[in-house]
Amino acid sequence: MSCKSSSRTFVIAFACVLLASKLPAQTPPDVAMERSGYVDWLKKASNSPLSAVAQQKVGDGLRLGPEDADIPLPGMAEFRVYPSGASLILEGPDGKRLVARGGPHRIGKYALYLTGPRPGTVLTVFAATAGKEPPGYYDYDALVVFTGPLIRTKTPQVVRVLASDGIEAEATEVGTFLVPLGGGTALRVLRIPVASGDESELEIFFRDESNGDGTYPAGRFVGLHPLPNGQFRLDLNRARNPFCAYSSVYPCPAPWRGNTIPAAVRAGERYAGGGLDPGTPGPEAR
Amino acid sequence: MLAALLVYGTLVLDPAPSPVGAWRAVLDLAGGPLRFGLEIEKVGGGLRAQICNGIRCQRVDARMEGDSLTLNIPDYAATVTAALRGDSLMGTYRNVGNRGPRTIPVRADRGRWPTAPAPKRLRGRWDATYLHDWGTSRRVFEFRDGRAGLEGTIISNTGDYGHFAGIAEADSFSIAHFDGSFVYLLTGKLDGDTLRGIFHAGPRTQTPWTAVRSTGAPHLKSPTEVTGADTTGPFRFDFVDLNGQRVRSDDARFRDKVVLVDIFGSWCPTCHDAAPELLRLYQRYRPRGLEMVGLAYEVTGDSAIDGRQVRRYRDKFGITFPLLLAGVNDTDAAAATLPQLRGFTSFPTTLFLGRDGRIRRVHAGFYGPATGAQHRRLLREFEREIEKLLEEKREQ
Repeated sequence: MSCKSSSRTFVIAFACVLLASKLPAQTPPDVAMERSGYVDWLKKASNSPLSAVAQQKVGDGLRLGPEDADIPLPGMAEFRVYPSGASLILEGPDGKRLVARGGPHRIGKYALYLTGPRPGTVLTVFAATAGKEPPGYYDYDALVVFTGPLIRTKTPQVVRVLASDGIEAEATEVGTFLVPLGGGTALRVLRIPVASGDESELEIFFRDESNGDGTYPAGRFVGLHPLPNGQFRLDLNRARNPFCAYSSVYPCPAPWRGNTIPAAVRAGERYAGGGLDPGTPGPEAR
Repeated sequence: MLAALLVYGTLVLDPAPSPVGAWRAVLDLAGGPLRFGLEIEKVGGGLRAQICNGIRCQRVDARMEGDSLTLNIPDYAATVTAALRGDSLMGTYRNVGNRGPRTIPVRADRGRWPTAPAPKRLRGRWDATYLHDWGTSRRVFEFRDGRAGLEGTIISNTGDYGHFAGIAEADSFSIAHFDGSFVYLLTGKLDGDTLRGIFHAGPRTQTPWTAVRSTGAPHLKSPTEVTGADTTGPFRFDFVDLNGQRVRSDDARFRDKVVLVDIFGSWCPTCHDAAPELLRLYQRYRPRGLEMVGLAYEVTGDSAIDGRQVRRYRDKFGITFPLLLAGVNDTDAAAATLPQLRGFTSFPTTLFLGRDGRIRRVHAGFYGPATGAQHRRLLREFEREIEKLLEEKREQ
C-alpha cells in the first residue's frame, strides 16, 4: 500500500493518517546526535550529575568522611576543605594542599569539584560507583515542534535564576514564545549565559501535565533555537531535565512564573526517579 | 557468475577510503554555514590535519578507523568525528562545557574554498555596535584584502578574536574564525554607508550589529582602563608550578625585578597569540632585570589534567619562565584568587610590576597578529613600558 496522496480512496488516505499518527517519527539526525552525545556524557563524565553524591557551600570550611562530618563519605578518613585567603585548601591524612576551583580532586573513590567564586564556592562530591542509568527519551514526536516569532519584551530585565546545573546565573528576560498546546500558552524566554562571554542560550523552563507522570515533577528546560529567517524553533523533543532530576544533591530551579502548558508533553527526556522532590525549589525568576 | 566475480573483485580490490587531500568544510550553525578549510596529509603511517581559516592553519591530530575520521584538537580538548562517504565527510564537532557537551554538525566536500579579492568598499576599519537584549557594546571590525580574499578580525575592549577569513559577494559578506574552541561567524551587508549584520557565536548565539566607517576617534576603551588594581602594596600570588612546587611573589627570583605577570589559559586562542611575543620580550629584557611568570586558569582545576594542557602549551612555545596553576577559567574565580585586581574580565591580562612589586600597568587582552598595525603598536607599547620600569631602578 502506498501512502502517497491520492484521491482514489478516502479509506486508504484515512488509514494512512491513522498509521502515521501511531508510528514514531524518525528522529532527525541533529536531535539524535545531541541525545547520544548527552547520554554518553551522563554515563562517562567524572562530573556527570548522575554520579553526584553531595553538594554544599564551602563557607568557612567543610569536614568530609566520618559519620558525623558535614559530608559523610563511607570508608573515608577525615578530610577538610577550607578557604585560606583567596585560596582553597584540601587537608587529609597525607597533609594539605592548595586546590583550584574546578576538579576533579580525587580522594579515594570520590572526585571533588569546587565551582563558583568565593564566598559562594560550592563543593560537589562525585562517586564513580554511584552510576545510575540515564533516564532516556520519548520517541520523537514531530507534532511538538513549533516555529514562530519571539515576542520581545520592550525593556528586558536582568533576573537571577538557577540554570539547569543548579548554579545561579544572571539571565535576561527577552520575551515570550507562543505554544499552541492546550489552548495556547505564552512561555517566558530567558537568555542564560554559557561559558564564554559571547555565547548564551535562549532557554525556557516549563511545566506540563506529564510532570510527575513520566517526566520530572518540577519541570524541564528546553532551548529556543533561532532560524536563519528570523523565526525561532521550539522543539519539545529537546526538553531536558534539570540536574536535580539526576541527583537530589542539586538545588532545583523554581518553576518560572506562568510557564505551564495545560497539556501533557510526552516528548523529550523522561524521568527515572532519584531526583529532588519538587517541594524544595531554589529562587524563582521574578 | 561473471557478474558475481566482478562484484567480488571490486569489493576486494577497492582500497579503503582515504581522507587525504583538501576539504571545503562547514560547521552548520543555527544562523547559517561557517566555512573553514581542512587539509589532511599522510605522514609516515599516519595522518596529519590542519584546520584553516583562509591561509592561517593550525595542526591537529588525525586518525582514520574504517570510514570514520577523528580529528583531535588537544589544545582545547575538542574533537571532530566524521564518516567518509565517497567525496564527502559528515559528522560532528564536539567539546564539553559545564552543562554537558556542545555539538555542532560538520560536513565537508573535497576541494578548497574559492577565493576572490575583497571589495574595496568593505576594506578598512569599521566602528561597530552590537545590539544585545540587555543593551549595546562596542567592537571594531578590520577588513582587508588578503591572500585568501576577505580577511580581518574583530576587536573588543579586551583584545581581538583572532584571524577571520571568508568571502564577499556583491554587498554581502561572511567571514569566520574556527580554531577548535571558539566558533565565530560574522555575516553582514552594506546598506548605504552602514554595515548591518549578525555576529554568530557558538551554535546558536546571534547578536545583531551595525557599523560605520571609523573616523579615527577612539571607539573602544583603552585596554588599560578595563581592569583596575590595588597599587598600595606589592602584588601577591602564591600558586604551584607544573612540578608541584609552591611559587610565591616574594620568592628570590622576583626580588628587585621588573615582573610581567601573564594571566592566561591554554584554552584561550588570544593567549596563544600573546605567548610567543611575551617570550621574545622575556629573552630580550631578562639580562637587564625582567622576570616573568604565567598564571594559568584552566578548564578543569584538576592539576593532573590542567598540568598536561599547560605543559603542552609551554612546550609548543618553548616557554622558559615559570607557569603556575592558578585556578579555573571563569573570570569570577580568577578574580577571587587575585583580590588586588578590580573588574578582572579577560584572558589574557598582563600585569606590569615595578621593581618594588607594585602594579604599574594592567593590560586587559592582547591584540594578536590578525590586527596588523594594532599588534605592532601594542608590542611597541609593551617594550616602552618595560624599558621605563627597568630604568626606574637606576634613578633611585
